[in-house]
Amino acid sequence: MSFAILFFLAWLVTAIFVVMKKEVSIVENTFVFLISLIVIINFSWIIIEEMKLIVLTKSGINYTAYLLDRSIILPMLLLVQLNLLLKSPTVAKRILIIFCTLIVMLGVSFVSNQFNITIFKRWNFVYEGIYFLLLQLIAFYSYKLMKKVSGGVVEYS
Amino acid sequence: MMLWEHFDKNEIYILVMLVVAYSAFFFFPKKLPRQITILFLVWGFASSTFFDFTIGGGLLDFYKVNDSNHYELSDLLTYFLFATFGYFFVYFYERLHINKKRFIFYVLGWTIVGLIMERISGWMGVTFYQHGYKLPYSVAVFLTVQTTTGLYYEFIKQKQKIQITH
Repeated sequence: MSFAILFFLAWLVTAIFVVMKKEVSIVENTFVFLISLIVIINFSWIIIEEMKLIVLTKSGINYTAYLLDRSIILPMLLLVQLNLLLKSPTVAKRILIIFCTLIVMLGVSFVSNQFNITIFKRWNFVYEGIYFLLLQLIAFYSYKLMKKVSGGVVEYS
Repeated sequence: MMLWEHFDKNEIYILVMLVVAYSAFFFFPKKLPRQITILFLVWGFASSTFFDFTIGGGLLDFYKVNDSNHYELSDLLTYFLFATFGYFFVYFYERLHINKKRFIFYVLGWTIVGLIMERISGWMGVTFYQHGYKLPYSVAVFLTVQTTTGLYYEFIKQKQKIQITH
């Protein structure tokens, strides 16, 4: 059941990203995705395998669900959020988008916990929330960095 | 994260390879736009990280990198090394004017290079196979990563017209 739910969520967030109107170029989106992926993978490893703050499932199918969360759901949520944020004209709307993204991320985390994909040992949803907010900041500033590098100009052949 | 368990041949090998790879990166004539250069450096870093922490760790744990199964500074340095492979794949893709006819041979060539580098890494103590993993299994990894890299680069070129310096 957990695999089905997380696979559905991975499909859904990817589909939303594919069909939505994007404010960010393909290169910038890819860069943000890759940076987010690197940070998420490294952070997850350190928290789970090195510091043992969270215990990860030993079940194959649940572990696959965890990989979907780590490698697809979280980075794609950050991409969807970034594109929505850049489309939003007001600060209030941006705060709402940040808050909604946080809630969705915490929701996915809650589902993982409920199905014992991850078990919090010396970790909790407050830390998880702080981590997700930091991820959102990293994604945003990765975009800013790439934008600065490209000078905001698309080069034509 | 620890630095390493012992500073010996695998760490020296990684440092030498980093010097060689980044020297080549800096001294080869620049052909790719800055955006693409940065993107594919990060692509190389991300894809090596992804595979190391998916099949090289966790539940599968098919290989150990460097001195232990724990995360070391020397492991992080290998990802910076793989970053240059991501860049050079695209760099030579353009230098050699790879098209549909040459694509398969290009990917096969890089796969052979990858297998040779992995064998050397094994001799130098960077990679240790576990739980029945063997070098030929890496063919699947190299083919997947390199085909994906090539196809994604073509996709980006179509979506966002890229200016290449010839």
